[in-house]
Amino acid sequence: MPKPLNWTRRAVLRLAWGGIIAASALTIEPLVKYLTSKEDRLGSPLVEYSKPLNVNSDWQTTAKERVWVKEDSLGVMAIVATCTHLGCEVHYYPEKKEWLCPCHASIYDIEGRPISGPAPKALPRVAVERKPDGTLIINTSKQVEMGTRL
Amino acid sequence: MKDQKNFVNHIRPGFVPSGALSVLYTFCLGGLSFLAFMVLAVTGLLLMFHYQPGESTGYNSILTIASVIPYGGVIRNLHYWAGQLMVVTVNLHMLRVVWTRSYKPPKQLNWLVGVALLILILFLDFTGYLLIGSQESGAAATVAVNILDLIPGLGAGLAQALFGAPSALSGSTLVVYVWHCVALPMVALLLQLYHFWRIRRDGGVRPL
Repeated sequence: MPKPLNWTRRAVLRLAWGGIIAASALTIEPLVKYLTSKEDRLGSPLVEYSKPLNVNSDWQTTAKERVWVKEDSLGVMAIVATCTHLGCEVHYYPEKKEWLCPCHASIYDIEGRPISGPAPKALPRVAVERKPDGTLIINTSKQVEMGTRL
Repeated sequence: MKDQKNFVNHIRPGFVPSGALSVLYTFCLGGLSFLAFMVLAVTGLLLMFHYQPGESTGYNSILTIASVIPYGGVIRNLHYWAGQLMVVTVNLHMLRVVWTRSYKPPKQLNWLVGVALLILILFLDFTGYLLIGSQESGAAATVAVNILDLIPGLGAGLAQALFGAPSALSGSTLVVYVWHCVALPMVALLLQLYHFWRIRRDGGVRPL
């Protein structure tokens, strides 16, 4: 004979308390992650890049703040790979010499000028400076004209 | 009935009239509204840790919260939907009070407190909408400011005091933020506590 269950109101409420405490414990980890997130901290607009650049090399990524750099016979330039349509990160395809936005298929030519898709403007060029030791300092908060070189 | 005038006894009453236990009498609409208010207070406090009011920072920080910060999307959506729910339950609560004639004496004062709470909740809802900082919120803020500007003499000052100077592209300003996160919730909470206490003071919930 199984023992008859004795579910009094008091027993059910006690069980409910346990459930509430258990559910509360489950929120601790998400709360800690949420409160300790540094994702919205304002980064410095300055990006350093110390690898060597060859004249007439193709675009090289600095892997920071979406900045890419390139050197031609006139000097060094930097571009920010953020689509001028809705701000997705665009990717450079060296074999096609084109920038492609994965979100709405905007295509830019090698200089970052839009050639198809919804993008209204060219990819932004930003100011480049060189420290005495040769490290490039790219200031992403300072936009420059497309022809500007260091 | 003497002990029912004490606030502590209100939290842990010695007895409750059996009629007040019927769910179908009030549909718990006031209680649901208060539950939504508590959820809004907790999630709103959490959102304040990552939200930055301002013309472009408002919208951008919402995007960051919703898509980058861990669990930010959950907290933001809880806040949003609890806000929508509260406006619905508060309005249904008011309809129920009209339906059961619960605004009649001796509850006429509590009815007026409830009307004040309704206005506060609607303004909280509106300022929350402005804080999203989207272009729609900018348009809404512009309409609100333009309507207030029509009031002779007081209008421009009132618009500044309530909304600051929102742009047409974003309703998110520091002034709206302070009203939404601090001033309005505090007034609403105090009025709600008085509202609840007043129910028993006026004789509690009684069946028709």
